[in-house]
Amino acid sequence: MGFDSVVAPRSRQGRKRQPARAEPQRPRPALARAGLMLAGAGLGAVTALAITDETLAELRAPGGAATFLGSLTGLVGMYLALLMVLMVSRIPAIERVLGQDGLLRWHRWLAPWPISLLLAHALFITIGYAQAARTGLAHQVAVLLTRYPDVLIATVGLGIMCTIGVLSIHAIRRRLRRETWWLVHLYMYLALALSFAHVLALGPSFVGHPLTQIVWSVAWAATAGLVLCYRFGLPVVRSVRHRLVVHEVRQEGPGVVSVICSGRRLDKLAVTGGQFFFWRFLTRSMWWQAHPYTMSALPQPPYVRLTVKAVGDHSAAVAKLRPGTRIVIEGPYGAFTRFAQLRPQVLLMAAGIGVTALRSLLEDLPRNSAPVVVLRGARPEDLVLRREVAELVRYRNGRLHELVGTREQAPLDERSLQRLVPDLHRRDLYVCGPEGFVTSIVEVAARLGLPSEAIHHEAYAL
Amino acid sequence: MKRAGWYLIAGAAAGFAGIIGFHGSGTAAPAALGQPKPGSAGAAAAPSAPDRTTGPAARAGASGPVRTATGKVEQYGYGELSVTVTARGNQITGVSVPLLRTAEPYSQQLAQQVIPMLRAEVLAAHGAQIHGVSGATYTSVAYAQSIQSALDKLHIK
Repeated sequence: MGFDSVVAPRSRQGRKRQPARAEPQRPRPALARAGLMLAGAGLGAVTALAITDETLAELRAPGGAATFLGSLTGLVGMYLALLMVLMVSRIPAIERVLGQDGLLRWHRWLAPWPISLLLAHALFITIGYAQAARTGLAHQVAVLLTRYPDVLIATVGLGIMCTIGVLSIHAIRRRLRRETWWLVHLYMYLALALSFAHVLALGPSFVGHPLTQIVWSVAWAATAGLVLCYRFGLPVVRSVRHRLVVHEVRQEGPGVVSVICSGRRLDKLAVTGGQFFFWRFLTRSMWWQAHPYTMSALPQPPYVRLTVKAVGDHSAAVAKLRPGTRIVIEGPYGAFTRFAQLRPQVLLMAAGIGVTALRSLLEDLPRNSAPVVVLRGARPEDLVLRREVAELVRYRNGRLHELVGTREQAPLDERSLQRLVPDLHRRDLYVCGPEGFVTSIVEVAARLGLPSEAIHHEAYAL
Repeated sequence: MKRAGWYLIAGAAAGFAGIIGFHGSGTAAPAALGQPKPGSAGAAAAPSAPDRTTGPAARAGASGPVRTATGKVEQYGYGELSVTVTARGNQITGVSVPLLRTAEPYSQQLAQQVIPMLRAEVLAAHGAQIHGVSGATYTSVAYAQSIQSALDKLHIK
């Protein structure tokens, strides 16, 4: 049973979809914009809240300035933490527009802020209270920890946050295994939960203000609900519904395997070409971790296929999966789809295992769309799935360029790209592969005058 | 996403203006009623109303001119306070707190709850020998000490 024996007849017949196949939802940027404005409104509101609660007399009193800065940094810091959780809560409407890697980029970019603001909050409050009570800092710390409600657990929470923050510094994170870091990272939820109570019990904007207490609590409860629903509930429902199991593992090239999975009602799984899932294979050593792998073909009920290159422990273990292994999926995610296309035609470029996203994206393009496809690999055998890609390109009256060799032998600079794709100005660029490849191609395309809205990329970080 | 920053800023401006507007319209009412804002940090609030206490004042032995003294400003862990004692003869007729400054709203709230109880204890005990309120030990001690210094000024034992 080969997957391409399922794929091939279909691509010869044309892109006839099974009648009942679920149509993926189109991304709606207006929803993401509304979300952004709402996020901004919240930020403005918490800042205003901290300011309106302060009078000039309070500011002038001993420790008033530090206490004010403390409550401002605390409120804004907690709010930014809330946004960070929302960014990774996989809300489908937002995810479809910004994509998983776009959201993660923002999440990473924002990350230092809440942690440093909350640290500043703790310092300012201690200084402010110590000045007001005319005691020493050390004494004030003891008073805060022992006498004030919920401050001790909030401090534990802050400690967890700072530890995770330090571990996330690039130089340190590099040395950790991805799985270890990811598990440690989950403790952030605990840290935030521990910090929640002291805000309501002590925050100047909340003590004696039932309205703000309710709004704040509802916002956090809703966020927790979204996380539970989309990161936990939906994957469980989808996995139970489709009951995927490993059907066959096939060697595609050096260190590259395809896993063909079979499941039920896959015609109801709305997936767009170029998207990926988080895959959790329920074996004794792999059940606790889910990894993102791209579908290397659109589902062919009752089969779906993913193609994986062995770069880490997990992807190496994928090659040894036994048929019958049960699978839990989370997804589909990613905005690297045909919906992102703005111009009439496309240029698709992939290096190495990046071909997987390109392959399923290509399948989603209409007949006669004349795509230009560039595949890059160090050796001929690294161009996995090239026969399938060639067939799909031919069917769409496109052109396929295979570049094999080192950077010097087969360079991809402005000149060579222009020669390969003379009509680049009418095309959207989709580029997919290792981070270095993606970055350099995006730079080349930008220098050739391609606007950033017409460049779509997805980098595989290892 | 294009112009993401502008959407964020527009939203932030709207949220900020919204809260300021709401605050402006919402605080007018309590201010007009003359109630001190709960949880006001650091402010020299007057938590107990000026004492024109009638009950204890009618007590026997309360004769002579009405005298008033304010005790020392006492620092305690969460802030500072001082107590004013009003007496006729040797009889304490009124106790009030003209100065209460706390580091943050929670302590302010606690103090505001506790001070009326302490006042009642003082009026009942006719002096600074009070048990204090459990859970507010520092405040009670500071209150009692300030009372004692006021009583010393009035030469009441």
